[in-house]
Amino acid sequence: MMNENREPVIDLRGITKSYPGVVALDAVDFEVYQNEIIGLIGENGAGKSTLMKILIGLVQPDAGTFNVRGRTVNVTDPADAVRHGIGMVFQDGSLVPNLSIMENLFLCHEIGFRKFGFLSRRAMRQTARVLLEQVKVSIDQDTPIAEVSPAVRQMVEIARLLWLSRLYGQSNPVLILDEPTTVLTEGERETMFEILQSIKKEASLILISHRLQEVVENSDRIVILKDGRNVTEMPALGARITDIEQHMVGHAFTADRYLEDDQIVPDGEERVLEVQALAKRGAFEPISFFVRKGEIVSLVGLVGSGKEELCRCINGLAKADAGSVILGGRKLATGSPRDAVASGEGHIPIDRRSEGLALGMSVAENVNLLVLDRLKSGFLVNPAREKRNATQWIEECRIKTPSAGTLCANLSGGNQQKTVIAKWLSSRVKLLVLDHPTRGVDVGAKDDIYRLIRRLARQGIGMLVMCDTLEEDLGLSNRMLVMKDGRLVGELSCPPKRKPSPKDVIGLIV
Amino acid sequence: MTGLREKVEGGQPVRPRIRFTLPLGAAGEWLRRAGVSGQILSLIIVIAIFAIGTRGRFLSLANLQVILSLAAIPTIIAVGVHQVVVLGGIDLSVEGVVALCVVFVGLLMQNKVNANNVGLWIVPITLGIGGVAGFVSGICNTRLRIPSFIATLGMSWILWGLAVYVSRGQTVAILDERFQGVVTGTVAGVPVIALVALALVVLLQFIQDRTRFGRYLYAIGGDEVLARQAGVNITRIKIAVFTLAGLFYGLAALFLSARLGSSQAITGNNLLFPAVTAVAVGGVALTGGIGGAKNAALGALIVTALNDGLILLNVSPYAQEAVNGFVLVAAVALTIDRRKLGFIK
Repeated sequence: MMNENREPVIDLRGITKSYPGVVALDAVDFEVYQNEIIGLIGENGAGKSTLMKILIGLVQPDAGTFNVRGRTVNVTDPADAVRHGIGMVFQDGSLVPNLSIMENLFLCHEIGFRKFGFLSRRAMRQTARVLLEQVKVSIDQDTPIAEVSPAVRQMVEIARLLWLSRLYGQSNPVLILDEPTTVLTEGERETMFEILQSIKKEASLILISHRLQEVVENSDRIVILKDGRNVTEMPALGARITDIEQHMVGHAFTADRYLEDDQIVPDGEERVLEVQALAKRGAFEPISFFVRKGEIVSLVGLVGSGKEELCRCINGLAKADAGSVILGGRKLATGSPRDAVASGEGHIPIDRRSEGLALGMSVAENVNLLVLDRLKSGFLVNPAREKRNATQWIEECRIKTPSAGTLCANLSGGNQQKTVIAKWLSSRVKLLVLDHPTRGVDVGAKDDIYRLIRRLARQGIGMLVMCDTLEEDLGLSNRMLVMKDGRLVGELSCPPKRKPSPKDVIGLIV
Repeated sequence: MTGLREKVEGGQPVRPRIRFTLPLGAAGEWLRRAGVSGQILSLIIVIAIFAIGTRGRFLSLANLQVILSLAAIPTIIAVGVHQVVVLGGIDLSVEGVVALCVVFVGLLMQNKVNANNVGLWIVPITLGIGGVAGFVSGICNTRLRIPSFIATLGMSWILWGLAVYVSRGQTVAILDERFQGVVTGTVAGVPVIALVALALVVLLQFIQDRTRFGRYLYAIGGDEVLARQAGVNITRIKIAVFTLAGLFYGLAALFLSARLGSSQAITGNNLLFPAVTAVAVGGVALTGGIGGAKNAALGALIVTALNDGLILLNVSPYAQEAVNGFVLVAAVALTIDRRKLGFIK
């Protein structure tokens, strides 16, 4: 390959990082050469973002060496990374919204623009103009960041990082772009890649994207990670998407991890959830589907496919523009989470710490939160009944807690998640929306959660799930709905032992 | 390259909801950018209503002088408060700080109770007391991580108690009259105290626009986490802002005692509400990051003009207080787009 004789700018060797219960990175090697665009590919949880966080110093590796331009370094934080000429453009941006484009460009590095102790606007404007020209941003540099499009924000961040690297005397900076195209329109996407190609003349870029097509078209080298390990790398020229998919997904899954034997066939046609022509402008087009009693339906699609927003509309957390959600035969009020819960809809959010649990309250209080009405004698909540209900669910859900009175903040992620599930179980829901139920949960707790999900199905609860990996989606569900660009593009039946392979699905998704 | 030119609306949680455009062409555009067009318009409306309601008496030279003179001290206090608000906090320590400063002004300048006479040294002493009080509030807020709301409320009561204790609750007549001139004098018809306030506003506005301190102040107000990531020394800026606020309160205390010719702890009372109202009316977003010294000053001017007009119209003082309360709530309702805030605490 063309890079063989050159010194890498960044050279990571044997990088290992583990979190309690999870090995995020297992002896990963990664190098970046001058003037190249690397496409970094892997499923959710493959370790891409941990690796990038190590590059910019947000995470410290447990083992491995980190060489920049031939010298071993210890990058302590993003500001330190920039001094080494490494920067990252975040998905949600790192520009301060109320400051102008120009003010953001130079934030915290204004010292060179001082004249007689005060900042010279003219000097800043001149430099800003040059920097913005390079990334082809032509709007007024005094516009606050809050008022510009995501495309412009990304370009401003890129311009800032390039300028900072130059300021610190680093040639060939390395820029990391995390899913840069998800927030862009078709036209903006093309423009962005044109700009990236021109920036490549003086920098290296790491491109993380789920859109394999654009990775193959725009990068020079493709690196694939799976389960925190290097799988392979290949030149992008002539790479075939099917091959990449094969590497991403890896081996076929083996044992009965997802308890397929317990998967029930939903009896009859009783529908707990019926979604009729639900639509939200800018998020998804009219969508209709249903969930039967005891059926597990998984919803798959990339970030930006509209599945998250669809679930938010079903939960009442967001307001749909048109269509209706019918739960157990009753039409829900749009945009009312209270009506959804009152009608028997439960929601297990992706971020249980901020949305699913009251962390400062005890396990018992969280479990009983929704059923206090049933635990009353007279006007007051009866402590004895409260305790009985809590203990019962703690046992049934195998929540490992020292006592019912332990604060949820002190439980592990898996046990917190089980507490959330117990809360909904005890409230007799009809439909449960599970948003990445096993995210950040260790392996043993995952199995417990799968068991609980099967149990919920046996009780006749319909479920709509979005999982971390395709394997999990396939393994758990009776039926799979595939979304892409705000539309429902496919529906697959997933009967036990005759599940479709992840490879079949990934073609539909991407 | 058309793709990168468009603006989008509503990317940020808090923006002024209503933007007034004055029919002034380029000047109007400058005012809009500076974020004071709504305030200028409000001021014009207030003046117009009272000018008509009082058959022109409101616009007499004497009354305009009264308004400018009365607006000066609230302006100085509001300018101190507003920077804490820009940071995303609130400073409730005004009344306590002023009470203590006023008491020391009375006891240290030439007075009728003791033999002290520090003369002009009173300026650094008062500013010092205010500055130290603000510094301590800043330390509580940053190092001890106590919310500014609680830290400054507690500070206010501590200093109030200290002020009453030191003064034993008595009123001290001040014999040194050198500061009276500043408070009562005029230059070319403009009250000197108004000119002092104006100078401070211009100076602080310049600092906010043209120094790194100003830039970091707004960066913290916009998003503290991102500002820290960018390398802003959050603690230092915050402590500086609280200290600066204390200096402004100290100066206000000096002028207040000079105006009264005497000193007592209760001089500090009823200063907080007008200051917070002025900050809100001036268009400083209570969620932080938006609005400068000019906003606080305009807010103080609007509120003073409003109260002056109500007095000229012989509106009952109690009704005036109700009007002030209404104005505070209405100002926040008009300046902040609350639909985009996740929670209202």
